[in-house]
Amino acid sequence: MTLTLYVEDAQDRGGAGTPLLQAKALTKHFPLGGGAVVRAVDGVDFSVLKGETLGVVGESGCGKSTTARVVMQLIPQDKGELLFDGEAVGTRALSLKDYRRQAQMVFQDSYASLNPRLTIEDSVAFGPTVHGVPKAAAIERARELLAKVGLDPARFAARYPHELSGGQRQRVNIARALALGPRLVILDEAVSALDKSVEAQVLNLLADLREEFGLTYVFISHDLNVVRFISDRVMVMYLGEVVEIGPVEDLYDDPRHPYTRALLSAMPSMDPDNRTMEAPLAGDPPNPINPPEGCRFHPRCPHAQTVCAKVKPALVATSDAEGARRVACHMEIAGSGHSRAPALESAA
Amino acid sequence: MTAVTGLDVPKTAVAVPPLLKSPGYWSGVWRRFKRDKVAVAAGIVVLLIVLMAIFADYLAPADPTRSSMLRRLRPIGTPGYPLGADELGRDMLSRLIYGARLSLFMGVAPVFIAFVFGSVIGIAAGFFGGRFNTVVMRTVDVFYAFPSVLLAIALSGALGAGIFNSILSLTIVFIPQIARIAESVTTQVRSADYVEAARASGAGSGTIIKVHVLGNVLGPIFVYATSLISVSMILASGLSFLGLGTKPPTPEWGLMLNTLRTAIYVQPWVAALPGVAIFITSISFNLLSDGLRSAMDVKG
Repeated sequence: MTLTLYVEDAQDRGGAGTPLLQAKALTKHFPLGGGAVVRAVDGVDFSVLKGETLGVVGESGCGKSTTARVVMQLIPQDKGELLFDGEAVGTRALSLKDYRRQAQMVFQDSYASLNPRLTIEDSVAFGPTVHGVPKAAAIERARELLAKVGLDPARFAARYPHELSGGQRQRVNIARALALGPRLVILDEAVSALDKSVEAQVLNLLADLREEFGLTYVFISHDLNVVRFISDRVMVMYLGEVVEIGPVEDLYDDPRHPYTRALLSAMPSMDPDNRTMEAPLAGDPPNPINPPEGCRFHPRCPHAQTVCAKVKPALVATSDAEGARRVACHMEIAGSGHSRAPALESAA
Repeated sequence: MTAVTGLDVPKTAVAVPPLLKSPGYWSGVWRRFKRDKVAVAAGIVVLLIVLMAIFADYLAPADPTRSSMLRRLRPIGTPGYPLGADELGRDMLSRLIYGARLSLFMGVAPVFIAFVFGSVIGIAAGFFGGRFNTVVMRTVDVFYAFPSVLLAIALSGALGAGIFNSILSLTIVFIPQIARIAESVTTQVRSADYVEAARASGAGSGTIIKVHVLGNVLGPIFVYATSLISVSMILASGLSFLGLGTKPPTPEWGLMLNTLRTAIYVQPWVAALPGVAIFITSISFNLLSDGLRSAMDVKG
């Protein structure tokens, strides 16, 4: 006997070919007063295919979390468009409330994201009751979900968040996110605050749940190993922009953007013959209030040339991997004026 | 690929076994409160004073308004007058017992009314934020900028003497103070991840306030309000002392302090008694409120 889902219209509308989520030129600037503006997210383009996990990596302050919050519509974007299964979010075709049944988020801080005054079953049941599920049915469903995420409802359902460990609380948060039967789950540093052993368990749980419920994940993390484990594709962000996006193994084996390369070489190696001998990147990322002209990475880039400081490179498909790889670097753009750029087709 | 739209959970698998009851938040507060000896003692004193006010008819040895010109200003310990007699020969003990009624009422009523209005104002301002918050809170600040004693006296003076008017003016004094606390607590809760998560599940502001905000802000606001009870008692006594509150011969501690003022050189101990009563009551309320605050101030 299957439980009926309360989201009747959660069917695949656009077909398998339509990405589940498309962000088009998403922009979010935070005015600081006095004319200064933090360009937290600046024209971000990406899409998340149905059933895949898109990893998002980048340094602190690169706009990963702001992107997540804009995608969840917790903060409105200044510019740009968000399409869910082919339909614009927040229009008549897909109201915000309907969208929120289908997209859910797990936050980094497992404690702060649970109301300390509610039992965990009440926390998990809250979302469905908002969407009109009777309280008793919502509680029953909450207990089933708690069992799904590995928390025995008999022992845990009536407990309060402070009585649980960090890993257990994050399981509760995952159950809460799943309570509405979403198709897209955004995991914003969801395992970053956990112990390594607990982190591995939660990652396995996430992988199992993805399989079982056919979920699509956007997995935000600064931990490159974790992203490699869980993701199908990876998006690298730098100062509010996407610098590289591509299938996980391609990107890890052959990073094309100098920033991706630096990020990956900063990963601690298990191989003593292959240690990182010098810091791959010097300095902090520039201030997002006043990002550098041209390519935002050029002040830290070992291959920067005059063109990099003047012209902003577009995010273009590379010649390999059937166009699945896209990189924003002048060294990849034919005829960009960078000495390492590939020759133009006509010249060849 | 097919979008899975249901949870394939056999219902029998979760045939709800008995739940282990969680001790919960308030039992934890009570457990920590019990450990605080000072707060418990203060709580007992408050309880005794309240009981004394309720059962004044049975406890008072004499009629608090029966005066005797022959027995004016008797010292403490005079037979028939265990705490002496006041300037009109009335039994001090009986007057203090009856006085607790009005003094407590004047302490609690304005704070309670201000708690209701101040919480509504502060929670609304804190939750909705933005320009609404600025307008509301700056208006509140205008009132807050006045010293509370001066504001109470000015309002009382403008409204005229009387119990109702002093309660009204004290309420107006306390609303901004409670609203400010309510606003700051609510602002913190509003940006908490669990409120974001609730919003992300599609809940509207009303539901979020009811389910997630109230439970987390009313406790701290209430604790702050209890600490205002002593202030309210003292201010009310002050208003009575100035002739702006209760009128004679009603027994009220502030008024008694006022009328006995002239006898301070004749019977200093008797003249000080209403002050002692105000002091004990207000410090008990304060210690009780401190105890509540530290018992509730725990992560979770």
